Amino acid sequence: MINRLIAGSKRAFGWHRPGRNLVVLPDDIFLVSYPKSGNTWTRFLVANLVYPAKHPDFSNLNELIPDPEALSQRHLLSLPRPRILKSHQYFDPRYRQIIYVVRDPRDVVLSQYHFHRKRRLVEDNYPIGQFVTRFIAGDTSIYGSWAENVGSWLATRYGRPEFLLLRYEDMIADTPAELLKVASFLRLSTDSSRIAQSVEQSSANRMRELESKQVGQWSSTKDTRRDVPFVRSAKAGGWKSDLPTASVVEMEGAWGSLMKWLGYELASNPAEGGMSGQLQVSVLEDSLLGERIS
Amino acid sequence: MIYDLQQALKRLLGKDIAGRDFAIYPDDTFIVSYPRSGNTWTRFLVANLLHPEEEVSFASIERQVPDSEAQSRAQLRRVPRPRFIKSHQYFHPRYRKVVYIVRDPRDVALSYYDFQRKYRHIEDAYPLASFIGDFVAGRMISASWGTWRENVGSWISARDGCGDFLLLRYEDMLADTLNQTTRLAGFLGLRPSEAVLQRAIERSAANHMRELEGTQGQQWVSTKGKRTDIPFVREATSGGWKTKLPKNSIAEIESAWGSLMSALGYELVTNPEVDPIGGPSVKSSLKALASTPGTFVSEPR
Repeated sequence: MINRLIAGSKRAFGWHRPGRNLVVLPDDIFLVSYPKSGNTWTRFLVANLVYPAKHPDFSNLNELIPDPEALSQRHLLSLPRPRILKSHQYFDPRYRQIIYVVRDPRDVVLSQYHFHRKRRLVEDNYPIGQFVTRFIAGDTSIYGSWAENVGSWLATRYGRPEFLLLRYEDMIADTPAELLKVASFLRLSTDSSRIAQSVEQSSANRMRELESKQVGQWSSTKDTRRDVPFVRSAKAGGWKSDLPTASVVEMEGAWGSLMKWLGYELASNPAEGGMSGQLQVSVLEDSLLGERIS
Repeated sequence: MIYDLQQALKRLLGKDIAGRDFAIYPDDTFIVSYPRSGNTWTRFLVANLLHPEEEVSFASIERQVPDSEAQSRAQLRRVPRPRFIKSHQYFHPRYRKVVYIVRDPRDVALSYYDFQRKYRHIEDAYPLASFIGDFVAGRMISASWGTWRENVGSWISARDGCGDFLLLRYEDMLADTLNQTTRLAGFLGLRPSEAVLQRAIERSAANHMRELEGTQGQQWVSTKGKRTDIPFVREATSGGWKTKLPKNSIAEIESAWGSLMSALGYELVTNPEVDPIGGPSVKSSLKALASTPGTFVSEPR
């Protein structure tokens, strides 16, 4: 009761961190992804592209590309507009302009496993196989399962001009080309030296350096284990060596059709569609207008 | 500020409308649909299947299958478990067991138009064609439920094929009520006798519901204080759009949502030249996105 009273008063004064209950403004732009899919990297890239003079790093990232899980409603409303906000939310009809970053779920699960270790949510000896099962069920995140999160956005918004889909793997393979898409989407200058500079300022090495110096200044790393890094391998395909075959099969069985649709080649040969229904596949395929992403 | 404090106090006491987020239990079942898609009919079927010995009416339905859009958090907390809860929300990851009812959006639009007039959200003189524009663009008082495409698409893409998701088409329910009600009962883990099934269908039939609305319309939370010259239980048929919806409006709906409609088996009658999803510029933008790195995805400002 006391807790609810405190929460209620905080809410009335706008001191609460709103998360999904964010007050959305019509000119807001959202940088959305499932957790551990390259969102922070994209925030750095976009921050450097939009605010080069502010020298973005972990100490001011929350001001530049604000996180509704880290700042108060009041603070968020005081920021200059248009705001570019970070989000991990599954579909929200109020979000109008969206950059959505998607990553191979076989890599996402590995990254989340280590992030959960870092945040002391699982022990070091927690079996990865068990973690994958919980990940597939959506039990390791408050943002729905990977397929629910990705699918909910694609089925509702894919194909519209206010929705830009980026694949983490394409960003790794050719960062300037993908950032150029972002610049065009944000109607910013597509000057190649500015793009190149943003890419450089957001490299995994530079982010690692900044992390080691500013770990206590950023909401997402403060009070977490120092021996497990936030900026991890920053590459694609780690699952091939690090994820047990049974877990790969389990995930592909559950989400095979959505993964294939996104251009993620399957290593196993799951029964057609796995858990995904026929209709889900055709809804997605129709949304894609018959064109594959890759 | 006063309003904010009022809301906070209501929230504290659990007197605010439950809506999208309230305490959810693992054994909850949700009866979900976009508005005007056969949800109330399905609620009556569910209530009659669950309580064959009780009288199901507009006076009892909020107790038997409560509406999270009409009941407060505190009221929902008091409902005995397992609960069966009605909702119009778009995809919510914490709703685990879900019956989702989908209806041809061309019929939904017509029904919604009358409903908005009944609720005095629009005037009688408001042109149907303008309403269809609002309906497609999501410019309605109920925008928080998403558009038809967003509501339907978000659920199907997230859950179709899962064991705890049952998709019902309103049109199938009309064409073969017995079969679809049997599916519904099976999904709810019920094994009703033939007699219980038949009775549930009869007690939920449009004629019976109309009669009940006539006598209880001013008691039920969803119709109380609304215009009585426009019924809540309307035609209860499918395909009304073929004669009542202007050609341009049909084209507008089909050009916006044609692909999702086809996927659901709703045959299109126009052959929109514009792109089936997002308007004329999308297809070329997509091609740019897919094949030529470095070209504009949208027009530069």
